[in-house]
Order: sequence, then C-alpha cells, then structure tokens
Amino acid sequence: MKDYKILFTGSVCSGKTTAIRSVSDIETLDTDAQASDVTVRRKKNTTIVMDYGVLDLNTETRVHLYGTPGQERFRFMWDMLTSEFAHDAIGMVLLVDNTRKDPFRDIRFYAKAFGDYLRKRRLIIAVTHSDVEPNPDYNRYLSELKDLGVMSTVMFVDARDPRAILGVIEELISAVERDIDWDQVRDRLLDINGFSLDFYKPLYEETLLDAAMNKRGVLGAMHIGEGQDLLCSNIDDASIKSLLLNINRLTDAISEKASFLGAVNNVVIAGPKVDTLSVFNDQNQSLCLKSDKDISLPVLKQQAGDLLQWSIDNDYLA
Amino acid sequence: MNELLGTIDKPNVVESSCFLEGKEVTTSSFTKANRHYETVARQTFSYIFLNVGKHKSKHNEAHLEIGDKRLSGFLLKANRVLVCLSEKETNISDVRAHIQQVQHLIAKAEVERMLA
Ligand SMILES: Nc1nc2c(ncn2[C@@H]2O[C@H](COP(=O)(O)OP(=O)(O)O)[C@@H](O)[C@H]2O)c(=O)[nH]1
Ligand SMILES: [Mg+2]
Repeated sequence: MKDYKILFTGSVCSGKTTAIRSVSDIETLDTDAQASDVTVRRKKNTTIVMDYGVLDLNTETRVHLYGTPGQERFRFMWDMLTSEFAHDAIGMVLLVDNTRKDPFRDIRFYAKAFGDYLRKRRLIIAVTHSDVEPNPDYNRYLSELKDLGVMSTVMFVDARDPRAILGVIEELISAVERDIDWDQVRDRLLDINGFSLDFYKPLYEETLLDAAMNKRGVLGAMHIGEGQDLLCSNIDDASIKSLLLNINRLTDAISEKASFLGAVNNVVIAGPKVDTLSVFNDQNQSLCLKSDKDISLPVLKQQAGDLLQWSIDNDYLA
Repeated sequence: MNELLGTIDKPNVVESSCFLEGKEVTTSSFTKANRHYETVARQTFSYIFLNVGKHKSKHNEAHLEIGDKRLSGFLLKANRVLVCLSEKETNISDVRAHIQQVQHLIAKAEVERMLA
C-alpha cells in the first residue's frame, strides 16, 4: 500500500471539514467537539483539534487527509500537524473563502504562517463559497498571486462537492501516481457520499451567525444588511430584536445627520442584571449581538471586530 | 451643579459631561467645540432609554462610539441621564469606575435639586 498525505488549512468556515468529509471513505474522525462554551447553542461543530479522513484511490494507493483546526487557541496543532502527522505530506491545500472581505489577506497570512512548510511542497489554493460570491475571480487570483510571489495552482471548488475536492487531490497526486482511474474513484465517491445542493442557501449569512455563536459569551446574533434589511437572526425574543433594530436605525440616522463627526461605529447597552446588547456597524452592514453581561466591552468589541473583519491579523483564526 | 460636573470631568477619562432630562440638557460642561456631541447625546440617549423603558428592559447604561469619541449615558432614574464624552480609546470600565466613585456626589446633587 502506498500512502500519501495532504494537509488542508484555511480560515474558520472556509470548508476544511466539509472538504475532507466529502471525499473520505471512513467516517471522518473530525475531532469537532462541541465547543464547550455555554454560548454555543446553535453552531453544530467547530473544528477544535483536527480533521482526518482517508480516501482509497485503488487497492494500492491511499490518501490521508488532514485538516488544521480553525481556532487560535489550537494553533499548537498547526505545528504538530506540520512537524509530525503531516510532516511528509505531498502538498497543502489552502481553502480560501471567497466571501471574505479580503481573501488575499488570508492567502498572505497562511502563506506566511506555513512558509517553511511550503518551501518543500506544493500549494493549491482552493477557492470556496464562490457560488455565493464570485468575485474576486480566477484571473484576479492569478494576478494577485503573481504580485505576492506565491507559487500556487488556483482552483475554484465547492467544498461540499466530492468531485471538486477529488479534482484538487488529483492535481496533487497525479504528478506522482500515473495509474489511477480517477473517473472510477469519482463514481464510487458519488455513490457513497452523494452530493446534493438541497441544503443550498446563502451561507454567508449563516456562517457569520455561526461564527458569532462561537465567540465567548455571545448568546445571540443578528445580521442586518443595507437598508435595514434583516438578513439573518437567531435572536428569538421579539422585544430584544425590536430594541436592536431600533438602535440600528438610530445609528444610521445619526451617521447620516452628524456625518461630520464620523460614523457611528457601535452602540452598546448594558445593565447590572441583563444581557448586554450591541450593534456594530461596518459600512453597509451591521452585526447585532446579545451577550453575557460579564463579557467586558473591549472583548466584545474585539469579537465584533473580528467578525466584521475590522481587525487585521487575528480574525483569520477567529 | 457645575461644581459637580467639574468633579465628573477628569483628564483622560471624561472630557465633558452633562445631565439630560428627557431630551433637554439641564447642566453641561460641553465646550462650544463639542456641542455637536451634546446634540447627538441628547438624541441618542433619550431615544435609547425611551425604547429600553418601552420594552421594560433593565439596561441602565448606553455607549455610543462616533468617530474618535465615545458618548456614555448613565440612566440615573426615569428620564434623567448623565452623559460623559470620552476619547474612543478610553477604557469603558475606567469611565464606569469613575462614575461609581462620584456616585454619592451625583446622588447628593440630585436630592438637592429636588429640594430646591
Ligand atoms: N455555498 C457554499 N458553502 C460551502 C462551501 N464550502 C463549504 N461550505 C459550507 O460552509 C460551512 C462551513 O464549512 P466547514 O467545513 O465547517 O468549515 P471549516 O471551519 O473550515 O471546517 C458549512 O456549512 C459548509 O457546508 C462552498 O463552496 N459553497
Ligand atoms: Mg471545521
């Protein structure tokens, strides 16, 4: 049996777990534990240690797929993966979520974080979520990568589609294994793992809420788009919802009327025995949060900043 | 009352302050240059605490970050709000702690005001 390894990485919600699961022959040991925080009621899973899957290409050839954890506090796993489990991987796949405000910042970040590791192996940039946000497009990626001096193949994939992920694997493995019947693997995977887009919905909104629910102390979140358009919410209490919507409306009105003072960045209301409610604005969208009153306001601000990508570096790890 | 505002204003924590009665300013240390912030504070806190009251919610402080500044509103009792203007970077807990420290002075002034 010939064994190959591939390491997947990328920001939270870029699709690492989904990609590995979509092609794995085994029940993925995705050590996605339920994040233990009380806050996580809605988001199902967060990769906290690593993802692992196995794909047999034929009776002689097997691929082991490893996924790095997304959360910063498990960053030690990156080292463990690159120096132990996947130290002999044939290549790395960087999943880039195209709905991120600046996907190239992700690329710069990961190319740097895994710089040494990539010196000896191939990098494939697999752009996900492009069904939701088609831009930047393929050519833009090529030119940006050229400017960055990053040597990489770019592929647009849907992490939920086993055919797409298999294509990425083929790109890496076919350079060293010539006798694999890729069509056959593909058919087999579709038989086993199937693929349907029934569950398709604009996932960007959902992921923002999911990501919000993963933040410490966050009890509920609401995403408001341009023109007070309520995109998505998991705050059920009508009274709190309406309070937040009103505050959001107020921030818009003030930003408009007193624009010479600068934009309203956020409004936070708090009290001794109530959940803290906050509204954070980012150009044409707002994130409303309901959080535990014990979360300090700087932390809250940091969290919202991460979520809305105001901060520079840490938000990659969310 | 102005003496009180003098105590509330503290370098690096609270730049200016004022008391609101509904939408009206009763006493203020806001300078001319900062008047616009006072106007924003009047609109914001009267609206927010009115809404909070409508929803029978127990929130008694509100903070609004606008440009480089932050306006904090502390609800003293129905309709009455203490407003503080700070730099955005000022830690809110410093502002809060400071207000707590001068709380008894505020309370005393409130009583005096009622008796007057
Ligand atoms: N629309 C769309 N959704 C995707 C795509 N890739 C992954 N997802 C969804 O994005 C969410 C986050 O994926 P997940 O694998 O948990 O991300 P991870 O944090 O990197 O492990 C899941 O709901 C996936 O179904 C894609 O290309 N398009
Ligand atoms: Mg995951």
